Amino acid sequence: MKVLIVGEINENKISTNSLELINKAKDISSEIFVCTVGSSEKVEAQIEGIECTYIKTNQNILSTHSVADAIKEFTDLHSIKVILCSSTYLGRDIAAFLSADYDSAAVTNVIDIDASSAFTVTTAINGGKELYTTDIESDIKIVVIRPKSFAPIESEISNITIDNILVIKNSELDVKIEKLNIEEKSGPQLEDASLVISAGRGLGEAKNLNIINDLAFKLDAAVGATRAIVDAGWVPYSYQVGQTGKTVKPDIYIACGISGATQHQVGMKDSKYIIAINKDEDAAIFQIADLGIVGDVHQVIPQLINLI
Amino acid sequence: MKIAVSAKQIPDPAIEPTYENGSLFRPDEQVLDDTDRYGIELALQIKEAMDAEVIVISMGPEGTQKGIKQALQMGPDRAILVSDPELKNSNSLTTAKVIANLIKRLNIDYFICGVESTDGYTGLVPQQVSRIIKFPCISFIKSAEITEGKIIAERQTDFGYETLTIPKKGVLSVTAGGVEPRYPNFKEILAAKNKEVEILSLNDLEIKGNNSLKYRNIIQSNIKKAGEKIVDEGNGAEIIFNKLKELKAV
Repeated sequence: MKVLIVGEINENKISTNSLELINKAKDISSEIFVCTVGSSEKVEAQIEGIECTYIKTNQNILSTHSVADAIKEFTDLHSIKVILCSSTYLGRDIAAFLSADYDSAAVTNVIDIDASSAFTVTTAINGGKELYTTDIESDIKIVVIRPKSFAPIESEISNITIDNILVIKNSELDVKIEKLNIEEKSGPQLEDASLVISAGRGLGEAKNLNIINDLAFKLDAAVGATRAIVDAGWVPYSYQVGQTGKTVKPDIYIACGISGATQHQVGMKDSKYIIAINKDEDAAIFQIADLGIVGDVHQVIPQLINLI
Repeated sequence: MKIAVSAKQIPDPAIEPTYENGSLFRPDEQVLDDTDRYGIELALQIKEAMDAEVIVISMGPEGTQKGIKQALQMGPDRAILVSDPELKNSNSLTTAKVIANLIKRLNIDYFICGVESTDGYTGLVPQQVSRIIKFPCISFIKSAEITEGKIIAERQTDFGYETLTIPKKGVLSVTAGGVEPRYPNFKEILAAKNKEVEILSLNDLEIKGNNSLKYRNIIQSNIKKAGEKIVDEGNGAEIIFNKLKELKAV
């Protein structure tokens, strides 16, 4: 059963998410292919012992349909039977496009795959309290996997060679990008930080986030957010932790003024140690917190900053 | 111009969902998925700037049609509901086929929807539809503005966002917070009562659904137990500080 991983690039190197998929793919099959998609000139995306291809895009064109065309061509050429994508903007677009091409219903939000007998995938429901398993019976199986579901592979990674670069063809479905905007974020990356401090509605208003930022600075932590305060425009979407945002598994997660909706829990419940501060003693976040403080974030956090 | 918007009727999200043999239990009265309000809002803004007909598309059991009424109260012109017992439990691809079929029939210029529904969270339908009908796909729109006959959108990326002009035709998915959904006013609430809701069955569409996913089971996860909960009596910060010390974070 040939498996194709749709890889992605982060800072000119194949992303950690992609390395997680490759590691899992080794459980499923011995015939693994990687097609990494990116716009950088030079990338470290050649994994030792695996056939790797780099699909090069133009960063000024939204070309997801063309990328899917290239991956479809590759899939047909190599008789690929399983396609694994990460739960990212690109991964979700590509999986959906290929799903329509192959008349194969893709499964998203997957946290585990068992290919020992049937091809069974697991997703979490009700905020992770229950696990839902599905058999994929289509000829070509398409799976979108949540980040951090598996450990990344630890093989040697080198620069992709010129022979393995595939430049995509243009398509009439491409859309020109007029401006690329990079949101600079100081401090550690949310997904990789060992300490995450997240804020929710309980902070009251956007300007009160300064205490969260101060605490994060003192602890060298990354700042996360609930969907509610992202929707309210307090912080960019890139801060969002939860079902529709990022999955984090830090050593310590401090939830400040967060009620703990199941959609938020999905993104952080596997943190090693959870500290929650909330005024409402019945807040759902306390059900999964290792240490819960029933108190006012506006008092507790400044006091904590003073202690550190 | 013709714009189709999605309006999924879902069980009240405030109530923990229940499952029957792997399929989500849907009560007779379902509500509009808030996610769809963002797509409907963008469609209405385009209508106001450029003159368009806005058609609500929904799929699922008919029930009380509360969710569809909520969608129409925001201001769209009419609604089409595809309802058929055969569609019970259909996966994302079948849903996309139904929507794609309607879009082709109606000669739609834009299909606008949320990123993912609040009950299923699959998040595939907009892109699948775009692939089937061969429209450009601008997913994950985080903000949009209409000026001088152009729709300028910002699309979320891993590292920020990209600015682009929406082409003449396309499938657009709008993230929560991408636009500010309007509250229905009294006039629109009254007007919605007289708007047409056309109900179609699978026979009307001639679609072959996809049946490649088979439910296996639902099992309890090893959910972690709650730890200690302490009421802050002025010492809350110190308790946290001592714990952070113990965990070697300070």
